[in-house]
Amino acid sequence: MNQWPFIIAAYAIGIVGTVAVTALSYLRMRRAERQASALTRRD
Amino acid sequence: MHIFANPARFLSIARPLTPWLGWIGGAMIAAALYAGLLITPPDYLQGESVRIMYIHVPAAWLGMGGWTGIAVASLMQLIWRHPLASVAARAIAVPGALFAAICLVTGSLWGRPTWGTYWEWDGRLTSMLVLFFLYIAYIALSSAGAERGSSDRISAIFGVVGAINIPIIHYSVEWWRTLHQGQSIGLGGSKIDSSLLWPLLVSTLGFSLLFGAIVLMRMRAMLAETKVEARLKRMTAE
Amino acid sequence: MAVKAKNQRLILALLAVAALVGAALLAMSALKDQAAYFYTPGDAKKDHVDIGRAVRLGGMVQKGSIERQADGVTIHFVVTDGIETVPVRFTGIVPDLFKEDSGVVAEGSFQPDGSFVATNILAKHDERYMPPQVAGEMHKTDSLEPQGDQGKELK
Repeated sequence: MNQWPFIIAAYAIGIVGTVAVTALSYLRMRRAERQASALTRRD
Repeated sequence: MHIFANPARFLSIARPLTPWLGWIGGAMIAAALYAGLLITPPDYLQGESVRIMYIHVPAAWLGMGGWTGIAVASLMQLIWRHPLASVAARAIAVPGALFAAICLVTGSLWGRPTWGTYWEWDGRLTSMLVLFFLYIAYIALSSAGAERGSSDRISAIFGVVGAINIPIIHYSVEWWRTLHQGQSIGLGGSKIDSSLLWPLLVSTLGFSLLFGAIVLMRMRAMLAETKVEARLKRMTAE
Repeated sequence: MAVKAKNQRLILALLAVAALVGAALLAMSALKDQAAYFYTPGDAKKDHVDIGRAVRLGGMVQKGSIERQADGVTIHFVVTDGIETVPVRFTGIVPDLFKEDSGVVAEGSFQPDGSFVATNILAKHDERYMPPQVAGEMHKTDSLEPQGDQGKELK
C-alpha cells in the first residue's frame, strides 16, 4: 500500500488546524485589544 | 503562582512573552516537520508512515496536557478564587479540543496503513475519543457559564472531574490489552531510535511553545473583551 | 477554631479529588477484564471461549508458521503468546505489516477442533521504532511472501 497519501493528509490536517487556531486567536486578540484601548483613550 | 492572579501584572508579562513563544515555537515546528517529512529514515516495519508520529504525538501531548491545565486552573479557581484561573481554563479549551481532534484524525490515518483499520474500539482510542467529547462538553458548559457569570464554578468542577480521564488514557495501553502499542518513551529511556527521535522532541517542544502563545493570546482577548463590556455597560448607565 | 474559608475549600477539594481518584481506580480494576481488546491464546483456553462466538485473538505470529494455500488468498498461521498456541485460518488480504514474529490481532471465532477462523486480520505494531539499517543489525524479520526454504519445508 502506498503510504504517502496518508502521510500528506495527516500533515495537511495538522498544519491547517494549527495555523487556523493560531490565526483566529491572534485576530480575536488584536480586535479586542484595539477596542479596549480605543475606549480607554476616549475617557 | 499567586503573582499571576493580578490581571495587570499578568498582562505585563504576557504581552512581551506572546510573540517569543509564538515565533520560536513556529520555527521549531517548521524545522521538525521538514526534517520528519524529508530527512529522517523510514521505520523498518511501518515504512514511511512513521512520519505521521511527528504530528500525532505532539497533538496527543497537547490534548492531554491541555486538559491537565484546565484541571489545575479550575482547582485554583475553586480554592483561591483567582480571577485569572477561569480565564486560563476557558482559553485552553478550544486549542486543546483541536489538538485532541488532530491526534484522533492523524492516528486514524496512521492506523489504516499500519494496522489495516482506520478505527477500532480499543482502550487507548476510545479513551482519547472520550477526551475530545469532554472538551466539547466543557466548551459548551463554559460558554454558557460565561454569560451567566457565577455559574462558571460548574464548569470548573467539570474540569477537575474530567481530569480523571487523563491517567486512564496514559495507562490504557498497560492496564488493558490494546491494539495501540505501549509507551515508547518513558523514564527508563526511549524505544525509538535516535535518528527517528530527535525531530519528535523538537516538534513536541515547538508545538508546546506555540500552544502557550495561543493560550496567552486567547487570555488577552478575553481580558480585553471583559474590559470593553464593563466599560460599555458603565457608559450606557451614565 | 475558625478555619479560613480558603483553607476549608482547599481541604474539601483535596477530599473530593481523593474520592474521585479512588472511585476511578476501583472502576478501572473492575473493568480490567472486560475492557481487554483481545484474548491471548492462553486466556482463550483458560476462559473456555464459546465456539462460534465473535472474538478477537491476539498474540505473535509464530516464526515460520505462515503457510499460503494453493488458492493464493487463504493463509494458515499460528498465533502464540509464548506458552499456548492457536492455529488460524484466514481468507483475504492481510495488512502490509502482517509478518512472522510480529504482533497480530485476528477477528473471528473458534472452531470445534480448537482452531480459529479469522474474518479480519489487523497487524499490531510494537513500541519500537528504528530505521531499517538499525533493525537489520538487530534481527531479520520474515515477510509473508513465500520465501524459498520455509514454504517448501511445510509442504
